[in-house]
Amino acid sequence: MTATATPGTTTTTTAPGGKTLGQQFVRIMTTTDHKLIGQLYLATSFGWFMIGGLMAMLIRSELAFPGNQVVNDDLYNQLFTMHGTIMLLLFATPLFFGFANVIMPLQIGAPDVAFPRLNMFSYWLFLFGGLIAASGFLTRGGAASFGWFAYTPLSDAVRSPGVGGDLWIMGLWMAGLGTILGAVNFITTIICMRAPGMTMFRMPIFVWNTLITSLLVLIAFPILAGALLMLEADRQLGAHVFDPSHGGPILWQHLFWFFGHPEVYIIALPFFGIVSEILPVFSRKPLFGYVGLVGATLGIAILSVAVWAHHMFVTGAVDLPFFSGMTFLIAVPTGVKFFNWIGTMWGGSLSFDTPMLWAVGFLTTFLFGGLTGVILASPPLDFHVSDSYFVVAHFHYVVFGTVVFAMFAGFYFWWPKMTGRMLDERLGKLHFWLLFVGFHTTFLVQHWLGVEGMPRRYADYLPEDGFTTLNQVSTIGAFLLGASTLPFLYNVFVSRKAPLVGVDDPWGWGRSLEWATSCPPPRHNFVTIPRIRSESPAFDLHHPEIAMLELDENDAERRGQFADAPDVEGRQETLAARIAGDLVDGDPDSHADRAREQGDTEGDVR
Amino acid sequence: MGLQLPKRAPAPVRRLTAGALVGALLLLLSACGDAVDKGQWSRLAMPEPATEQAPYTLELWRWAWLAAMVTGVIVWGLIFWVVVRFRRRSDDEIPVQTRYNLPLEIFYTVAPIMMVIVFFYWTVNVQNKLVALDPDPDVTIEVVGQQWQWTFNHGVGPASGSPTPDTVAEEYRYDDYVFIVGDAANRPTLMLPVDKTVQFNLHSPDVIHDFGVDAFLMKMDAIPGRVNTFQVKPTVIGDYAGKCFELCGVDHSRMLFDVKVVSQADYDAHLADLAERGNESALPLLGGAGARTQAGLGENDDQEGSQE
Repeated sequence: MTATATPGTTTTTTAPGGKTLGQQFVRIMTTTDHKLIGQLYLATSFGWFMIGGLMAMLIRSELAFPGNQVVNDDLYNQLFTMHGTIMLLLFATPLFFGFANVIMPLQIGAPDVAFPRLNMFSYWLFLFGGLIAASGFLTRGGAASFGWFAYTPLSDAVRSPGVGGDLWIMGLWMAGLGTILGAVNFITTIICMRAPGMTMFRMPIFVWNTLITSLLVLIAFPILAGALLMLEADRQLGAHVFDPSHGGPILWQHLFWFFGHPEVYIIALPFFGIVSEILPVFSRKPLFGYVGLVGATLGIAILSVAVWAHHMFVTGAVDLPFFSGMTFLIAVPTGVKFFNWIGTMWGGSLSFDTPMLWAVGFLTTFLFGGLTGVILASPPLDFHVSDSYFVVAHFHYVVFGTVVFAMFAGFYFWWPKMTGRMLDERLGKLHFWLLFVGFHTTFLVQHWLGVEGMPRRYADYLPEDGFTTLNQVSTIGAFLLGASTLPFLYNVFVSRKAPLVGVDDPWGWGRSLEWATSCPPPRHNFVTIPRIRSESPAFDLHHPEIAMLELDENDAERRGQFADAPDVEGRQETLAARIAGDLVDGDPDSHADRAREQGDTEGDVR
Repeated sequence: MGLQLPKRAPAPVRRLTAGALVGALLLLLSACGDAVDKGQWSRLAMPEPATEQAPYTLELWRWAWLAAMVTGVIVWGLIFWVVVRFRRRSDDEIPVQTRYNLPLEIFYTVAPIMMVIVFFYWTVNVQNKLVALDPDPDVTIEVVGQQWQWTFNHGVGPASGSPTPDTVAEEYRYDDYVFIVGDAANRPTLMLPVDKTVQFNLHSPDVIHDFGVDAFLMKMDAIPGRVNTFQVKPTVIGDYAGKCFELCGVDHSRMLFDVKVVSQADYDAHLADLAERGNESALPLLGGAGARTQAGLGENDDQEGSQE
């Protein structure tokens, strides 16, 4: 048996015609194409990422020396409030909508999402909601300055009277509505619009994670929306929902964190999904423990709604053993994921193209965030480090380690699918190493600062506190981290002239369905869809011999016995037919068969 | 397979990367060198514990980190091993297409459960020591955090009743109090007698604050409308730093206080000194009725619904 290791070369060409600026504008304003909407989401959230990043550099500049040098205390509070708000709600969350919009319909073989116009409406809600929330900077009192979790009574009309607080509340409410509608759209699409043959247990992990994340959105975001409206009613209408006389401050914290903790997983799970897509492709192996990974994701999602009060250990108002125990348990499915990822790479043939480099960067970084998370989940340890820089360091390892590393992994991985052109590998590697070193220089030392006793959200500290040197290390790291974005932007700029990849799967070992259509795909994604008999339909199409090897080497999977593998019923017959050279899908008009007849299934694009 | 690009970055890029790495490492080492004393390394950055309860936290901290690092080293080790051992050596490699290994999967699901159960046991064990309340503490102090100052009310004379006050019925443990108030410009000193069980009752009349003392390895929120309570027994005479740890507005970072643990005689002298300065009151100063109300709209706000 000759197993080929050449990239699939079948392609459906769509010539991107040169369009005028006006045509582009009209196209964007009137589109219902999930791919374009997804790219709008990606571009907008990346814009917010850079704005939030610049705020972080101002914050780090202020902390480089004791005393006030760069910003005053009030502006400092506005900066970290908006930094947190932007990074979580205007960057990470819509970034999920960007990736899921672009990739998920392709992966399930759908022509678009279920409600294309609702999809665009969700984007506008996000865009204008975000602009409203941040427009507080243009008002006289400045933007919201009560922290991104807006604890009452600090966020009430007496302690934060500025209109910036109202803009923040209503802007986030609006953006949150877009998030809810987007989640409805994804769930409907995944349940109702999978291509024939795409059973639930043939869905790529990214699709699974999109589904589970969307369910979490439906659980968490309505709570946020309700809480925000109640807070606004307190501020503007004189309601007393969060009045301290009946426990309002604790009520707000429960409502906020019942949203806030699932939110952490809303921005983590899709990015775990991206990494789960990338590792098999660059390891030349199928994903290890497919069903286990789906189960682990479900386990994390279920536990994530039962741990919110671990943010409230020092309030003295929550049941410590329950919330600490549930939080510890989340380490178990997260650990399972790690072992699945390592198991995928184990025994593989690993090439470190940029997507893989970012994925491994994610593994090494996120691991440390997970370990400090278990430590923070222990109330006696949390009593000392709660609200200190230890927490700041922890959640940057978790959230930055996941969202940003996996975002760049996804960008480099799917850039050819989105644009038809590759990003430059050498610039990508420079980008990775600058960011990796910058990130760890910024945040590793913050653990130490926090344990020593530096509280978070401090605009200033005393020279005799002994925090100066470590803060300066952190600030230098932050500027290195900020500078790492420059090679990426340059890379995006020069890639517009890069040659078209001209094949369906430029990486050669792509597995899921998006690699079985052209780069970029036609308007409704597929001219024809190959027969789907496993979770790797594109791989089965391009490399039937190797897929057959997989069945030979995993006996229980092939026989349909109890095994941690996806649904492969009928896969063996399809592969055998393809290897034998019969018409691939029994239909002369099918994508794969037509390409074969044109004689371009073999060939070297290198 | 990879792409149509060179396998390695050119030498200048590699040298630059290596230089940056070494530089960052050196910076980190030198930073830790002068900012940190030797004992702090052995305590993994923790301040030296100064209460009877704090050493339990320190002990748990050390063991927790040991467990975390063993786990971390194993997993990082696996990642790096895989990355080095299984890197692609030739372009036409086709590895064994393993999909699952049920016994292994069961093992790596069950083993973490065992680990967290052990950690949970010790967590609850230590936590019970930290939150335990002696029904008859030696000293009770009503602590008030408000924007942006601290007030410490020390009871004087005989104690009676519950150490935790009923702020609605205005029932407190002592009949007389002396107090000390201070803000950033005039940092207040919280004086505590050594080897005596001290209960802190935390109050706030405005927004949420957080009362934390570094060497006590303990902190708790002061929340309007609610009295939080914890106890410590300071064991080491010395000066410590106290801070507000919960964002409370523009001067949050300036809401500092000093803590002095002194002998009983010095403590008594301090209270007498406060009394002499006229800082006396029959009831502790708690910052007014704002603790139980929230302003609504306009001047004629009648606080409907916010009566006790």
